[in-house]
Amino acid sequence: MNTIIDLFNSIFQPIIDLGAAPMMFIVLSVFGILLKVKPSKAIEGGLKLAIALTGIGAIIDMLTGAFSQALQDFVKSTGIELTITDVGWAPLATITWGSPYTLFFLGVMVIVNIVMIVLKKTNTLDVDIFNIWHLSITGLLVMYYSDSLLLATALIVLIGVLKIINSDLMKPTFNDLLNAPKSNPMTSTHMNYMLNPIIMVFDKIFDKFFPWLDKYDFDAAKLNNKIGFWGSKFAIGVYLGLFIGLLSGQGLKATFALAFTAAVCLELFSLIGSWFIASVEPISQGITNMATKYLKGRTFNIGLDWPFIAGRAEMWAAANILAPILLLEALILPGNGILPLGGIIAMGLTPALLVVTRGKILRMIIIGALILPVFLISGTMIAPFVTKTAELVGAFPSGVEAGTLITHSTLEGPLEKILAVLVGQASTGQIEFIIYALIAVVVYVALFIWYAKEMKKRNAEYEAAEQNKVA
Amino acid sequence: MIKILAACGAGINSSHQIKAAIESEMRNRGYNVQVDAVMVKDITEEMMKNYDIFTPISNTDVGFEITIPVVEAGPILYRIPAMAEPVFNELESIIKKLQ
Repeated sequence: MNTIIDLFNSIFQPIIDLGAAPMMFIVLSVFGILLKVKPSKAIEGGLKLAIALTGIGAIIDMLTGAFSQALQDFVKSTGIELTITDVGWAPLATITWGSPYTLFFLGVMVIVNIVMIVLKKTNTLDVDIFNIWHLSITGLLVMYYSDSLLLATALIVLIGVLKIINSDLMKPTFNDLLNAPKSNPMTSTHMNYMLNPIIMVFDKIFDKFFPWLDKYDFDAAKLNNKIGFWGSKFAIGVYLGLFIGLLSGQGLKATFALAFTAAVCLELFSLIGSWFIASVEPISQGITNMATKYLKGRTFNIGLDWPFIAGRAEMWAAANILAPILLLEALILPGNGILPLGGIIAMGLTPALLVVTRGKILRMIIIGALILPVFLISGTMIAPFVTKTAELVGAFPSGVEAGTLITHSTLEGPLEKILAVLVGQASTGQIEFIIYALIAVVVYVALFIWYAKEMKKRNAEYEAAEQNKVA
Repeated sequence: MIKILAACGAGINSSHQIKAAIESEMRNRGYNVQVDAVMVKDITEEMMKNYDIFTPISNTDVGFEITIPVVEAGPILYRIPAMAEPVFNELESIIKKLQ
């Protein structure tokens, strides 16, 4: 056994020693070739991941370099203790894809998906390979606290299975929202929809006590039109830069510098995000080719990234209105350490609000405002882990003073992150931690089971309506 | 040169897949196209004026009347060539009309 481990170490240690970007270039390229992707395509993917990692590190450096002092001054002048820099989703996704464990979790979930299809436990083939990072970051979080790959894998499989079941449950609702025929295969296994159960609890309360509210719903598309570019990434960067600069007493020149730096960073994070999505493209196609070949003769739904419902205007209207609400909540929420910046447009929340309420805009906004604090708590909780992981993959500047933390204020799956922290802590063997973790897992699964029942009722109604139309 | 506007939620993932697929397939069929990928949220009436065809993933409510041809490009994302074929055919027939 020892000789095998020694052999592994002698092969892989030199590659690991090269650092995250060169290592992932090699790993992703080889992985692509093993999946029978054309070698030139596989290498293109590997290179894109390496430059994305390098690029995201440079932009994090620029953002934290500009803002860490201003955030300290902000605390001094306002007394509000918000020092964690919110870098948004792209750096977290890139950092997670910088860990070789992500490919391991991906492999596990591909097998789980195929087994579920073969056993007829689902009808969804998940081709959204890129978004495995949402599960992977949850697993890495467990490992940050516990060092246990087994525990991390167990939690990931549990959440992963529920995610796939959820994509089947939501399928008829997607058809309704898209006004699409029953033959439309689009559904989604995205992590953000794992908030559906808790949103549904609030939605039922509205059904019971405030149904009259719905008649005040307004035209979301018209609102979005009026907002225009004022809601775009760079504009938001400018506002928040001005906000922090003025409140921390930086003087006009430095304040403008902050505003424009934030705007540049938010735009560049997205741009670099698109590189590394492109980097995963060859292996996504490779895995899909293999899976469809293996599962010949079955027709299934296709699990995609969430944005195919982005055409619904309510999603954006809610996101625009929730942005200032998130800022306000961040200022007053006890225990929060994040000043929202990169993640202020809460795309980790609004798609789930849309699916559960089916576009009732006022419910989306009110329930959204009630749930946003969970994101802030989860984002604050994981900041040390995110910062440490960024350092490990070489995406965090070494020059920044100790104590500077980064996170994402509206990271998808906040409940799963809290769950991961509890499960990770349980591995220390302390009996109270084990009890907390068990309770959390049981509540999480029970809530999902209740939600699944409600969704089946909803789907039966869709089915009945369909029958009536035919008859 | 035909200019096409692709759109998705973040303007990063799905719309870029659609952009890459349309550009390579239309070039293979001998057409000169340029596809830009944007966030649905950032589309304005003014922006739409610069394009010949709009290819969202699915039915998209932009809040104003779209006057250019619309082709829903979602099936491209399924990664199964036979399902993407009708989208490309529809695009090709529109491009032929425009030229």
